[in-house]
Amino acid sequence: MDYEIEEKGAPNREKVEVLGATYEAGKPDGEDDGRWRHKLASRDEKLRYLRSGERYWYGKDWYGSEKRKNPA
Amino acid sequence: MAERKIKKSVDKASLDMMEKAARDGVTTAFDRAGEMSQCAIGAAGSCCKNCGMGPCRVLGVKGEEEAARGICGATAETIAARNFIRMVAGGAAAHSDHGRGVAELFLAAAKGKAPGYTIRDEQKLLQLALEWGVEIGERSNQEIAVDIGEIALAEFGKQEGEIRFLSRAPLKRQELWRREGVAPRGIDREIVEIMHRTHIGVDQDYHSLLKQGVRAAIGDGWGGSMIATELQDILFGTPAPVLGRVNLGVLKKDEVNLVIHGHEPLLSEVIVAVAQDPEMVSLAKAKGAKGINLSGICCTANEILMRHGVPLAGNFLQQELALVTGAVDAMVVDIQCIMQSLPDIAQCYHTKIITTSPKARIPGALHIEFDEHNALEGAKAIVRTAIENFPNRGNNIDIPKEQTDMVVGFSHETINYLLGGLFRASYRPLNDNIINGRIRGVAGVVGCNNPRTTHDSDHTSMVKELIKNDVLVIQTGCSAMAAAKLGLMTPEAAAKYAGEGLASVCETVGIPPVLHLGSCVDNSRILMAATAMVKDGGLGDDISDLPVAGAAPEWMSEKAISIGQYFVASGVFTVFGVTWPTLGSDEVTKHLFTDFEAAYGGIWAFEPDPIKAAHLMISHIDKKRKALGIDKARERVLYDMEMRRELESV
Ligand code: SF4
Repeated sequence: MDYEIEEKGAPNREKVEVLGATYEAGKPDGEDDGRWRHKLASRDEKLRYLRSGERYWYGKDWYGSEKRKNPA
Repeated sequence: MAERKIKKSVDKASLDMMEKAARDGVTTAFDRAGEMSQCAIGAAGSCCKNCGMGPCRVLGVKGEEEAARGICGATAETIAARNFIRMVAGGAAAHSDHGRGVAELFLAAAKGKAPGYTIRDEQKLLQLALEWGVEIGERSNQEIAVDIGEIALAEFGKQEGEIRFLSRAPLKRQELWRREGVAPRGIDREIVEIMHRTHIGVDQDYHSLLKQGVRAAIGDGWGGSMIATELQDILFGTPAPVLGRVNLGVLKKDEVNLVIHGHEPLLSEVIVAVAQDPEMVSLAKAKGAKGINLSGICCTANEILMRHGVPLAGNFLQQELALVTGAVDAMVVDIQCIMQSLPDIAQCYHTKIITTSPKARIPGALHIEFDEHNALEGAKAIVRTAIENFPNRGNNIDIPKEQTDMVVGFSHETINYLLGGLFRASYRPLNDNIINGRIRGVAGVVGCNNPRTTHDSDHTSMVKELIKNDVLVIQTGCSAMAAAKLGLMTPEAAAKYAGEGLASVCETVGIPPVLHLGSCVDNSRILMAATAMVKDGGLGDDISDLPVAGAAPEWMSEKAISIGQYFVASGVFTVFGVTWPTLGSDEVTKHLFTDFEAAYGGIWAFEPDPIKAAHLMISHIDKKRKALGIDKARERVLYDMEMRRELESV
């Protein structure tokens, strides 16, 4: 595969050279390509994800920035 | 007859179909808007027809007073405020009745009384169970769902206390709502109370009237709409990234075209499955078609796009134009934003218009009523009607070529996952990039089309201006479709249209600079995204502290007013375009545009020029950055860019 080098800029940064796209050209065509929730198969995994990923609502020890100032 | 001066659309496919409509002798909303000028008194909110002594026209604008009071003594302020909150009531009722319909189907499915429907997203079911204190243990999903469905349904008729989803909001926001007395007691109750208060001779203080409007709107955004979104996710799946296409070019000449239009995806989910049934595909082939092509208009379309990648034929003002192609074999509609002209236009071609909701009948349409107990048979009858109509197509077919790719499916849950990954899902990268100035802020651009302005133009001009200035844009509804048609919802759009900072973040995460969050009830996803930003920290303690803004540049429906009002009530600066329905009262307008900020942290604004409106949003974002003390990072960024330009010019 021929690698392409691209020049990228970002605020507060000098321009840098980075490796360009290494994926094959084309479009995803499957309805399931972007699906991620099936990665959590069991009920236990789903509950654990809710308590970590959505911790500010469902985690017992996570309160988010707002609750630290105003302890519940 | 008033002459229409504005350009009708910026979308070539739409313009081509308008020309074809003219050739075919078909009249569309664009023509009707040109022929009928707006009533200036009504547009300004100054016409009251709430009793048989009127209608009374009472303008409260300095130097333009028509009359000081209505027959009953109502002032211009009272009339403008009453009319405004009746719009909120209409919008909140539409969203919430949709939510109720979903809750009823959800409960029936949980009880095994709605064959074909099942729990597709157990994770979200568990989420609501945790939230509402429903026992999980070893219980089956159906058992849990029965409890969830009953609790959800009870939210509509609750008489006291607070609606449950308020507890999702930032703590400071919840306190503010309680302090201001606008925490909704029940979803329906606040809407009914608007109708009572606005009856002749009841509430005659515009402050108090507008406050009730706020209360009902919160019951929409954090109540009815949020229930619709959450339960639809459990039944049909929480959206995740999927590739879609948009514009009239998605219609196919050699396939049966069935267009799904409206807002409630209950039946359309089954139609999506039935259209892939080999028996139906064979029937289509037997009738001379190569297959069955589903596509959609308005928000039912957004729902099935977000979950299945079903292409969008277009937004609100393209519903008539889709028929003008001559290639639509059937258009099935459910509720909201469906033009009564469709059956008339269909007569000029061969299209069957099929209504499905007992709440939304249209003379001249074929009615196949949605029955949750027998959805499969209803869906089959609809697909069969489209197939059997395929041989009736005439030769007058012209399908525009235009169609654009889009990546959609950005629910709050998916954004959280994409930014942080499975083991540390988080909005942290977004907040960090806002703090370091790569992303200046976030703007929600939503709403309808309105033929009183150039179709799609205000949406696309505003969105381009925002992303050019490093503002990440999140969208729903017909507004999202306008941006998608221009190609703004592909990852490649970041390099082409976004400012350097936003582009660098989009490229790193692999997301477009404009994210599609779904249908208009899915504006509740925007509320959740904003709350997640607050809770993740570093950007204040409330939504009103965030560098965010909202807009509906081409709004037309009462739903848009309700959405805008719950955004404002949640602390968001929200600017509307086209027209503003309280301009007949300087005092009421000032109250909404200025005084609301002290009470709710969010205010309304009106600016019909989309670029100027985008600049208002950017100034508000910058004001919030300054208040948070993160304006310095951004100033340094701008200084560096300037320096770089100077260096390059040497
Ligand atoms: S309620 Fe008052 S202002 Fe309205 S129509 Fe009746 S008399 Fe006129």
